[in-house]
Amino acid sequence: MRNKSWLLMFFPMGILFLGIGTLILKKNLIGNSEFLPWVAAVVVSAFCLQVFLQRKRNLLAIWIFPLVIYFSSIGLVMIARLKPELFIPQLRWLLIGMAVFLLVVKYADRLQEFLSYQYILGLCCLILLCSPFLFGTEIGGSRNWIVFGPFQMQPSEFGKIFIVLFLAAYLSEHKNVLTLPSKRFVFLYLPPLRFIAPLLCIWGIAILMFVLQKDLGSALLFFGIAVFMTYMATGSRSYVFLALAFFIIGAVVSYFLFGHVRVRFAVWLNPWADPNGQAYQVVQSLFAFGTGGIWGTGFAHGHPFFIPEVHTDFIFSAIAEEFGLVGSMTIILAYFIFFYLGIRIAMNCKRDIHILLAAGCATIFFLQSFIIIAGVTKFLPMTGITLPFISYGGSSMVSSFILAGFLVALSKKENTGG
Amino acid sequence: MVKRSIKKYVWHSTVFLFGCFCCLLIYIIYLQVIKADDLASNPLNQRTTAVEADILRGSILDAKGRKLAFSSQVGSRSYPMGASMAPVTGYIGEKIGNAGVESFANRQLLGLTENLSRLGPIAQLFVSDKGNDVKLTIDADVQQTAYKALENHRGAVVVLDAQTGAVLAMVSRPSYDPNDIEADWETLNKQTDSPLLNRASQGLYPPGSTLKVMIADAALKEQVTDLQEVFNCTGHLDLGGGYILQESHGAVHGKVNLEQALTESCNITFATLAMRMGATKLDNTFERYGFRKKLGNEIIESMPHLPEFSKLNQGDIAQVGIGQSELLVTPLRMAMLAAAFANHGVIMQPYLMDEVITPGGIIIEKNQQRQWLQVTSPEQAGLVDAFMEKVVLQGTGTAARISGIRVTGKTGTAENSGGDDHAWFIGSADVRGRKLAFAILMENSGGGGTEAAPIAKKIIVDLLEK
Repeated sequence: MRNKSWLLMFFPMGILFLGIGTLILKKNLIGNSEFLPWVAAVVVSAFCLQVFLQRKRNLLAIWIFPLVIYFSSIGLVMIARLKPELFIPQLRWLLIGMAVFLLVVKYADRLQEFLSYQYILGLCCLILLCSPFLFGTEIGGSRNWIVFGPFQMQPSEFGKIFIVLFLAAYLSEHKNVLTLPSKRFVFLYLPPLRFIAPLLCIWGIAILMFVLQKDLGSALLFFGIAVFMTYMATGSRSYVFLALAFFIIGAVVSYFLFGHVRVRFAVWLNPWADPNGQAYQVVQSLFAFGTGGIWGTGFAHGHPFFIPEVHTDFIFSAIAEEFGLVGSMTIILAYFIFFYLGIRIAMNCKRDIHILLAAGCATIFFLQSFIIIAGVTKFLPMTGITLPFISYGGSSMVSSFILAGFLVALSKKENTGG
Repeated sequence: MVKRSIKKYVWHSTVFLFGCFCCLLIYIIYLQVIKADDLASNPLNQRTTAVEADILRGSILDAKGRKLAFSSQVGSRSYPMGASMAPVTGYIGEKIGNAGVESFANRQLLGLTENLSRLGPIAQLFVSDKGNDVKLTIDADVQQTAYKALENHRGAVVVLDAQTGAVLAMVSRPSYDPNDIEADWETLNKQTDSPLLNRASQGLYPPGSTLKVMIADAALKEQVTDLQEVFNCTGHLDLGGGYILQESHGAVHGKVNLEQALTESCNITFATLAMRMGATKLDNTFERYGFRKKLGNEIIESMPHLPEFSKLNQGDIAQVGIGQSELLVTPLRMAMLAAAFANHGVIMQPYLMDEVITPGGIIIEKNQQRQWLQVTSPEQAGLVDAFMEKVVLQGTGTAARISGIRVTGKTGTAENSGGDDHAWFIGSADVRGRKLAFAILMENSGGGGTEAAPIAKKIIVDLLEK
């Protein structure tokens, strides 16, 4: 089984080939064959990487990379269909992502040393997240971009990596102190303030991002990951209550202070009040889900362009329209399987820090896909954030590959019990 | 021990997140299965229009297969007969919606007989990029002849095949050119003479004396008179309460029987008959003639407006007898009334859409001719029909007389609040083995005998020559 695991790559590759084939037949990609060498490069690298990854891992790790390529293939095919001019850039980002992934897996041992410098990690995270305040540019309504010359990046995407690393390192070391019940506050058991300060700091930053950068999605993501990892490390419900209280207060205050928060909330409660104005995107996204129905309209036969910015945040709606419930279910299920693999990798680790790191990586993937899918379906208020590996975006692609790299690295035999 | 507890909490979180995952899954199933149809058919969902925009719309054909509307490429639409056919074809425009056949046969013209668009890849096997042709009962010759005959009068002409119910012509003037509808839209909407209104089936007018054919039949059926009774028309009728009904134009018909009264269109006689019948029997008569029954098919019509019979006083009842009071009907309904007498008391279901033909030439829908109402006995229908022939031969409708052709008719000169009288002429003619029933209405044009009857003659003569 292990030596044949490269066969798994045929499934995502099939999606890629059939998708591109359909688009060529539908004449969406005609007169532009420049992408072919890039596709070839992606295919070859994907197979090589999978063969390389087969060695020295446990059985779980074999599935991670094919799943990643499965998501990426769907993303590539959808981007080729929705925004053909971004197809080659996305292929390029995928190649870069795979290279970074390889580096992370290969040099994981050395990277582990960084985990000792937990406060430096925390500081890096802080700098990354705060950098847009200083030299950020507003793109698509959120001030969370940094532009140097031709390159744009979203520092919050990389902040994700550092926050998982920092929380894993910090919590694994301080969890005994953090679980030490020293002060009783109503029904909450809290340790001295200096121990929970870093956590409060993260929660505070999340709220700040929420308010100042209008980046509701990332704020929710950072906040969520901090709460989940704290609970995983300490098992203390007090932190969860504290965090929820913090969150509710923050949400209520920002609701009354900031127009954009009120708008998002109103749109969520009743998008039909203003279907052609503020709620246009969400309403069009709902129409996409309805029009898709169970079987979808068929790839390249739908009309996803009624949704503005469909190739980034709303790519899932386009998938749901053209592939129907069948397609949307498959993808959600694949994300859950990916998450579950990550948790299983965590369960197989020996050291606390590794358990937390693996579980953190898995959880952040889950939270990110959950937040955006819930947003485009109006299950939760819409918060702009990318769908990992599927949405267009270099920062998102590279950072997701780094996190996936951690998961594979942590499944190394010497780390695990099995 | 410590490690175990971390794993325990990781597991707790996993279970919690699995719960969230299940909720989202159920919600998406709800969205894409249960709510799907609502969302897909929501009027704000432009996808339906977008799907339609990709289909080459089928042609609208007349009874002889001539093109009334066609698309040479996706998104374009031509109407070769322009304004004369506009009340039939209607129009279609991205911003202005659609009307007429373009509206009610929209699905057929697009070939969307079943909604297959959400069957995923399978749908692509069935969805054609070319819509079906719709063949109408309209005869372009009749339509154009009638349109020309109306000249510049505001009005309408409806021609039916009395034996089948097929609508051969549905003319309304003033009209508009559906080829340029989008460019002219604002002007057309501002025009006070309502060119967008299809007067033939949606314009409401008092029927005036044309209604007397129905009153004559009803009076005989209700036995409030017979063929022998002689009425004395003195030119006015005291209705009591100080109200006196005057014969129009101060005419005095003297001693007349029912046949003569109809031929001369004697108001005094028919007002008397209406009063003899009273509100209930009049009410029943309108019911029997289907004035409250919807057509219930593709023809978009305005329902006739009937007075509240229970609240009518004697004066109003007398007015109903001569087709006035609050009574309002469409020219289509009056053509159907004329058809009843031409077709042994049977009104056939009027219809406009005859066949739906696929691009491959297969007929997938075909109209079934059927009886709509039996309004009176064949004998009595024959009797009234004979009276109506007399109207044309020697009565008020002599302007429609054509030697060698049997033409029946009844004139009407309807008073209205909008100015001069409306001129009416309803009747039937045997043209080339077909019994054509027609109604001609000309707004504020004067007497039915002098204005509308000649139009009927023009149309019939023209058709005989074709």
